[in-house]
Amino acid sequence: MPDRARHGRRRPVSRTAAWALRLGLFAFCAFPLYWMVVSSLKVSHELLASPPTFWPHEWELRAYRKLFYETNFWTYFQNTVVVSALTTVIVIVAGVIGAYSLTRYAFRGRTFVARVTLLAYMFPPIIMLVPLFLLARQFGLVNSIPGLALTYISFSLPYALWILRAFFQSIPLELEHAALIDGANRAQALTYVVMPLALPGIIATAIFTFIVAWNDFLFALVLIGQDELKTLAIGINEFFHMAVVDWGLIMAAGVMVTIPALVFFIAVQRYLIAGWGAGGLKG
Amino acid sequence: MLAFTLFPVGYNVWLGFFAKHSLRATSTWVGLGNYAQMLSDPDFWRSVWLATVYAVGSTTLQIFAGVAGALILHQRFAGCDFLRGVALFPYMIPTVIAVFVWRWLMNDLYGVIPYVLGTLHIPGMPEAWLTHATIMWVLIVLSVWTFFPFVLVNVLARLQTIPPELYDAARVDGASAVRQFFHVTLPQLRNVLLIVLLLRGIWMFTKFDVPWLLGFGGGAGEAIRTLPVFTYQRSFTYYQAGMGAALSNIMLVLLLMAVTIYFVAFPPSEEEQDA
Repeated sequence: MPDRARHGRRRPVSRTAAWALRLGLFAFCAFPLYWMVVSSLKVSHELLASPPTFWPHEWELRAYRKLFYETNFWTYFQNTVVVSALTTVIVIVAGVIGAYSLTRYAFRGRTFVARVTLLAYMFPPIIMLVPLFLLARQFGLVNSIPGLALTYISFSLPYALWILRAFFQSIPLELEHAALIDGANRAQALTYVVMPLALPGIIATAIFTFIVAWNDFLFALVLIGQDELKTLAIGINEFFHMAVVDWGLIMAAGVMVTIPALVFFIAVQRYLIAGWGAGGLKG
Repeated sequence: MLAFTLFPVGYNVWLGFFAKHSLRATSTWVGLGNYAQMLSDPDFWRSVWLATVYAVGSTTLQIFAGVAGALILHQRFAGCDFLRGVALFPYMIPTVIAVFVWRWLMNDLYGVIPYVLGTLHIPGMPEAWLTHATIMWVLIVLSVWTFFPFVLVNVLARLQTIPPELYDAARVDGASAVRQFFHVTLPQLRNVLLIVLLLRGIWMFTKFDVPWLLGFGGGAGEAIRTLPVFTYQRSFTYYQAGMGAALSNIMLVLLLMAVTIYFVAFPPSEEEQDA
């Protein structure tokens, strides 16, 4: 069977082509990141040299020193961690309880609520920009970290529910029934039986929620004006308003924001893949 | 939860009928005044057009790049797990950083990409890219880079559930790799592609941070002043909260129309309606 042989064994040409494609994908994804790292470590005159050097002749940590000692980077960093953590904890607690009741209790309009959740997942936050801003002003939540967290919670919660629901649905009811028969109450069944099984889903949801808060630019821009309350996204943006734009500094800030995300990402990658299957990304 | 979602939308519709300052408490009923003013404003129409160009251009290319990437990563090869991680990374880094890195890559004086393109001596290639004429291209390429992993992940997840027997059958029938893609893979991907297309289309049309951070709303930024950027400027540069709300409402109506037309044209299959 000549046909089988042709498709069974890959020809050298198609193998080379496959590796070229893989390399192309790698370069497309990785080059901008490589360039960010390299640019943050170059000395000033080399940074602006033409032609640019792909491997620096001289290395220095000037940009990082400037970032840590001459800017409010750490303040921005702390604010971002606090607001992201606050958002994540509240969304997960409310999301687990909400998703559990969506999947376990039958009530009128359950399907309707599920549909609205899907709509909320698609819903672009910018449409709520003006009303959320005016409401935040009315309730004194402008220039406040909890106020910012509340905004993130309001548009993370619906799609956290959406992902968690899928995970809870995959856990067989029989396990819970067994726990209930053994004398556990609903809360105990949730804590000791459902939660451990849904843990990968909960972790995935936590990560996605964290990323929403960590990455947001728009609402931080509108709701935070005081420098000491700024998050990284709007804080780093301020670096462009210096008299001379220091690209080394901006790239160093980029590296510092990216590295924790990278480490975190590698550590939890397998949970992420699980969450992606359930439609957990937004942005 | 309903209150969280529906109340701001309702409040927004209500606000659209007022001339309201973003910071002062006063507001005046103007009925449809905001809408009349908006529809006669050429800047508004331009922003709708730019948002459409941006959404269509970047979504289309994301789908192509995402499907291509998923096909590349679907095979097993040495280092494929590593490459999967790398390919997802553009999506994980904060948008602000992604935009700043691309502004640096494309910098008119010191950018490495204009330099490399310059060495190729292609006639008609612009020397500077962050200008009125070409900034939209930069915006689209940068957005594809940032957001194509979303398509990749969803397509890859689906690819891995296609039963291998389908390919065996196609091979026995003597189908080439290209024919296998169009007759086996693509029909299997139909549903996931439709959903991804809808989501990405909506999110790209309403994307604010990427065009804003790339253009800062001024200078060459005017060439990428999409509807979300225009809405932001009305609300927070000119403090016309009523107009901002009216613009958001228009965005919402446009999206609801798009979603409706979409679901009428491509009704989702049973399994997905319930998922």
